Amino acid sequence: MTEAKPVLSVRDLTVDLVLGDGPAAARRPLIEAISFDLKPREILGIIGASGSGKTVLSRALVNWIEPPLAIAGGSVTYKDRNILTLPRGEMRALRREIAYVGANPQGALDPTLPVGRQIVEKLRAVAPEIDRKEAEERAIALLDAVRIPSARSRFHEYPSQFSGGMMQRALIVDALVSNPAFLVADNVTQPLDVTVAAQVLRLMRELTVRFDTAVVFVSSSLPTVAEVADTVLVLEGGRVVERQATKSLVSAPTHAYTRELIGQIPQLWTDTSAPAATAEDAEPVFSIRDATRSYKVRKRGTFAAMSTVRAVRNVTFDVFPGENFGVVGESGCGKSTLMRLLSRLELPDSGVVLADGKDVAKLSGKELMQFRKNFQLVLQDPFSSLPPRTAIGAILEEPLRTHGERNGKAIRERVLTVMHEVGLPASLYDELPLGLSAGQRQRVNVARAMVLAPKVLIMDETLSSLDQTEQFKLLKIFEDLQALHGLTYVFISHDLAMVRRVCNRVAVMYLGEVVEIAGNERLFFDPGHPYSRALLSAVPTLEARRYKPEDCLLEGEPPSPIDLPPGCSFASRCPNVFDRCRVESPALTVRGRSDFAACHLVDPHGETARELVEEPA
Amino acid sequence: MFILSFLARRLAQGALIVFLVSLLIFTLLRVVPGDPVRLMAGGMAPEALIEQIATEMGLRDPILVQFGRYMGGVIQGDLGQSFVRPASGASTGGASFSDSTRGERAEVLTLIGDTLPMTLQLAALSIVFALIISFVIGVPGGLAPGRWPDRVAFYLSSIFISLPNFWLGIVLALLFSVKLGWLPAIGYHGFAYTILPALVLAVELSPVLIRTLTSSLATIMTESFVAVGAVRGLGRARIVFAHALRNASVPLLNILGIQISGLLGGVLVVEFIFDYPGLGLLTITAVLQRDFPLIQGIAIVTSAIFVFINIAVDLAATLIDPRLEY
Ligand code: SF4
Repeated sequence: MTEAKPVLSVRDLTVDLVLGDGPAAARRPLIEAISFDLKPREILGIIGASGSGKTVLSRALVNWIEPPLAIAGGSVTYKDRNILTLPRGEMRALRREIAYVGANPQGALDPTLPVGRQIVEKLRAVAPEIDRKEAEERAIALLDAVRIPSARSRFHEYPSQFSGGMMQRALIVDALVSNPAFLVADNVTQPLDVTVAAQVLRLMRELTVRFDTAVVFVSSSLPTVAEVADTVLVLEGGRVVERQATKSLVSAPTHAYTRELIGQIPQLWTDTSAPAATAEDAEPVFSIRDATRSYKVRKRGTFAAMSTVRAVRNVTFDVFPGENFGVVGESGCGKSTLMRLLSRLELPDSGVVLADGKDVAKLSGKELMQFRKNFQLVLQDPFSSLPPRTAIGAILEEPLRTHGERNGKAIRERVLTVMHEVGLPASLYDELPLGLSAGQRQRVNVARAMVLAPKVLIMDETLSSLDQTEQFKLLKIFEDLQALHGLTYVFISHDLAMVRRVCNRVAVMYLGEVVEIAGNERLFFDPGHPYSRALLSAVPTLEARRYKPEDCLLEGEPPSPIDLPPGCSFASRCPNVFDRCRVESPALTVRGRSDFAACHLVDPHGETARELVEEPA
Repeated sequence: MFILSFLARRLAQGALIVFLVSLLIFTLLRVVPGDPVRLMAGGMAPEALIEQIATEMGLRDPILVQFGRYMGGVIQGDLGQSFVRPASGASTGGASFSDSTRGERAEVLTLIGDTLPMTLQLAALSIVFALIISFVIGVPGGLAPGRWPDRVAFYLSSIFISLPNFWLGIVLALLFSVKLGWLPAIGYHGFAYTILPALVLAVELSPVLIRTLTSSLATIMTESFVAVGAVRGLGRARIVFAHALRNASVPLLNILGIQISGLLGGVLVVEFIFDYPGLGLLTITAVLQRDFPLIQGIAIVTSAIFVFINIAVDLAATLIDPRLEY
């Protein structure tokens, strides 16, 4: 077979960052001497860490380089023409054949106009010969093809009424509606939840086959790229360091950087050194009993009617001393509300939260102080949670002073000890937090919680903004602190790989309910709830999957937590759904000795009923 | 559905506002010094007669009783009669005391009804002028932040804001009417008489509009949908006019709503200078003559107009940007 002529040829492409004006301007290359070909129908993956220049590259491919960036050399050839030097008007005509989807779906369309209308507008802007009626039909057909439910009515809805995943699909439609020759997808799955991201990936693959489109798929996550791409380009420091077919890249990386990347990818199933479940005979430090929390919101378009958002529903679990307890779920599942209940920022509408056996709602005065000291919260965002104009030492001293410590010398000593423990050099004591890296800021946050010598740390997505290397280091510190002080951790996270590494027991939340509580090993190897399986099937990983998305993951997104229908809340997306699920909510049922799952298929006598629904191997 | 509930809610709020304004004006008018009956009857009228008229007119009842009686009338569309003006037209009062009975006095509603359309015409024209001025100056400014069109917009709006309206009115009248003879200025004998006063009001309105438009357009142009729009293949003109301006017009509308409410002061001055027979002129004479019912009537009508304008502005804003639904 002869090699097909490439759709796109990139030769020696260099893009500079230009600072200042005129000939004296300082130029620094962001990407340098990049060359590759994109074959018809190929999906080419480009992988690189943040700062590797992958977004710059993906924009250069669609001729979207704006000051302070400038093309310093090289060419991007499409249909024998270098698109980088085309005049504006001709370039605009080419937009029909060159499409781009970015990482920020919510900002990509005008918020004041219906989504469908904007897709039609774009189609008619690049292909004026298509009349409005036909353009509309085409857009609706495509919205349907990317499985947007009731596409015809969704067509008239506004961007703010679309969820992130839905919006990303709409933008893929927007990109494909003019039948482009190639599509640049820049980090499209990054803002999405795992199950939704997995659906979008599956969609990308289908569409390239169906529409004959070549795709440049850019991402910072190697497992994600490996999921879709035929060939992968590894970008480091603005240069291509390796190019291989996906399979051989993963199995036999040649460049050191690629090996490092692969080494950092957490493993869910291969690595068997997971923390074991803890003994449950001790008194629980935390015990949450049937807690429910709802919010009232005004119904859209009504006079005074209210709807109830049930953020947390009938949640019950215990956390035992010295264990790492994980709470996982996707956005909107109620884990943040749960965190607010645990840290007594809010009280449950019904049910109780017991800390050390005492109802937190009834605490006051001294006891409340004691609770605040023992149960510390570490927040998600390392950038906005530190006062910018206070020295780090002073930030760390403050909680001690609030809790009545007066001896200046003792305070200083305590702060320095804690700084040492979390790996902050003592020289930072008098510095402002401005110059700190994300990892250091997060350490300051942890130290701020640690100075009071708490018993429990509640971590709300504490590590999710850090890169893998930093995460590893912090997790190591957490481990050491635990060994030293007998701490208990509650990790609230969407990151299953992290949970797999550190947590003894895990609660899985869906739509405000805990659908499964299981020991680490059991959850990852024998999950009891179909949703847990769906989550596991969607995690980006390079390993052979235990759970295939084809079997475990249905289309669709979680329904809104407003006015939930009766029955199992997962019924709308469950591959195993049957009649009873729609009328009766399953209760948390014991599986074996200590694990629970809320599904009608769970057999309380030990084993799951998985065999009943899975096809014989 | 949404629109109905929105209107119901806002109209109920509006009715309350109008009611409170009426109560406030009514009370204030009755506690300020100066007896209207003395003014009506003339300086020479005997004290006993004044008391008699005042009692007959109910002016010696407790304020709340008077207010209740008045609002009872207002609900039936009766704003009362002027203290001073006879039904025939010209205002009476001053030194000559005529024993006119109440029936011969002009209806407040008629007085307002005659002048309000004039003022609405003036206001509408000045808003049109102001919008034209601010788009012509503000759009280029917003598209080139930090460069010369932006600076021009800034300087022009600074100049406009520092021109006193009475001064500008006189200068424009001298220039266009006396010197050049292009436009008539004093009185009203046709549409052309509205142009000059409207221009003065427009210059007063436009600085804030220009600044709002420039800054909101500049902000919108940095939003990602603008940059992405170009990559999606939309033309520059389409991005600016169909999308950026659409988004930028929401803050502009809100400011306009506030500005219109502030227009009243300008209307008073401008109508007085150009002797324009509108509501402003009527207000000035009513205040000078202590014509309580007329002042109250004007206050109620104007506050109702403001309420309507603000409802209309908010409605327009939610139609442009559906996220504002609340
Ligand atoms: S109860 Fe039914 S719908 Fe719910 S998870 Fe189990 S099988 Fe699926």
